[in-house]
Amino acid sequence: MSMPVAWLTLRQLLGAKRTLLLIAAALLPITLALVFRLTGPEVEPARFVARTLLGRLVVGTMLPLSALVLGTAAIGSEIEDGTAVYLLSKPLPRRVILLPKLAVSAGLTLIFMVVVTLAAGLIAAGGEPDGGAVVAGFAVAVAAGAVVYSALFVMLSVYTTRAFIAGLIYVFLWEQVVTRIFTGTRILSVRQATLAIADGVANVSSTVFDADLATWKALVMMAAVTTIATIYAIRRLSRFEIGETS
Amino acid sequence: MTAPVPPPPPANVPAPAIEVLKVSKWYGNVVAVNDISFSLGAGITGLLGPNGAGTSTMLHMLAGFLRPSAGAVRVLGQDAWHNPSLYAHIGLVPEREAVYPFLTGWEFVRLSAQLHGLPDPEAATRRAIAEVDLSTAQDRATGGYSKGMKQRVKIAAAIVHDPRILILDEPFNGADPRQRLHMMGMLRRMAAEGRTIVFSSHILEEVERLAEDVLVIVTGRLAASGDFREIRRLMTDRPHTFNVRSSDNRRLAAALVGIPAVTGLDLEDGRLAVRSSDFGALTRVLAPLARDSGVSLFEVLPADESLESVFSYLVKR
Repeated sequence: MSMPVAWLTLRQLLGAKRTLLLIAAALLPITLALVFRLTGPEVEPARFVARTLLGRLVVGTMLPLSALVLGTAAIGSEIEDGTAVYLLSKPLPRRVILLPKLAVSAGLTLIFMVVVTLAAGLIAAGGEPDGGAVVAGFAVAVAAGAVVYSALFVMLSVYTTRAFIAGLIYVFLWEQVVTRIFTGTRILSVRQATLAIADGVANVSSTVFDADLATWKALVMMAAVTTIATIYAIRRLSRFEIGETS
Repeated sequence: MTAPVPPPPPANVPAPAIEVLKVSKWYGNVVAVNDISFSLGAGITGLLGPNGAGTSTMLHMLAGFLRPSAGAVRVLGQDAWHNPSLYAHIGLVPEREAVYPFLTGWEFVRLSAQLHGLPDPEAATRRAIAEVDLSTAQDRATGGYSKGMKQRVKIAAAIVHDPRILILDEPFNGADPRQRLHMMGMLRRMAAEGRTIVFSSHILEEVERLAEDVLVIVTGRLAASGDFREIRRLMTDRPHTFNVRSSDNRRLAAALVGIPAVTGLDLEDGRLAVRSSDFGALTRVLAPLARDSGVSLFEVLPADESLESVFSYLVKR
């Protein structure tokens, strides 16, 4: 783990625009949770939090988008603007460059999303039956999902300069559409795996929340995707060509 | 000395720092570099070529950032490609202007020192920044630097670990004349200490003033290599043009028409342009011919003594 690379990545990712964007996005689930709490609708709070607030909004949209923004910027933006050359021209094994970048982007996504999950979840369902279990389950799941998504998007950014678009296609086409139509593809969905972890940790009645994927399958899938994506990203960076035909 | 394949060095000659052996690089059907061989030892070598000639591709291969499609690039006896450990001995100044805009100059150079694992990164940073004369601006964010300052901070980052080989892609871009002179002096000093320095430039005066040797790449091929003046002399089939001012250009032109070495004459704006396929013959006959014709010569200037004209000729050939 190279601390200078980690420090550089942290400074890159905490740029003003990106941080403001993420803070603005964080306000959405927290505002919804407040509205839910204040209006007191008849729906069971734990069920609303698990299925809608955290299940759809946070896990379905905010988590992958945050990981996408931070993961593709961790090294992809340097490759795009040419500053990657300052790292790649150093006598360092490529894993020493890539792993801190992955760790920082995953860590920031994890911290940010766990805080949002805890804040929104506890506002909407704190003190309610099953509320604590659901929020704890989702906090753990979101932490795991942040690592998997980050590994995936960092790898994408090393493979293609259109990593952000490729990531959006994965999140909104594959995870939101294809896995709904073809249920067998859910094993290849980080979102489904994250929900399965939340279900496994929360251990609440299926009327409150029930994931489509078995927890053990989700754990295997997450471990496999993180490992394979990281190895592929390191290999790709090792053979990364910088140049132009001029 | 065109497109030479270097012979193996004698046993008592140190191995070259950079060896390029029958290297080609292609992208699909586009050939960027075509079967180039050369070797470089200590000193300054200028890499010259028009846009799209393959100079940047060549520099990227020297720096180990591009894998040759054929042939081998060897740096300090090792393959350059896929060999990060070599960067302990190489300093690289890329052409692209981008630096990390949120870092100060000091932080940028220190980052380079830290990534090289230097025992005292602070001292190395101070030394490198002083070398490029950027100490007064070292605490400002590089995002606010001028183009010339960015070039200098990039050079400081490239020399912070005191490399044996320095590769610079268009290093003087944006530098003002004073900074340019300063950097040239620094590079000459580094070369005198035994380092191998190779740089590309489109500004021909820079190449002429700084480089001891020149590699001219045209459409992906090594069109010429060696000492600039030597290259000029070896191009015997190259037509030369002289601009002549005399007391009677028209009469002189009439006298020159019958000379076999003269291939063309132009009369314009009070001067006579004389084209010749035989540089030596023309210079021998011009003065006697003018005297015999009763014409006084005021000025005879070669129109094509710059590197630019050599280069233009190679491109057209």
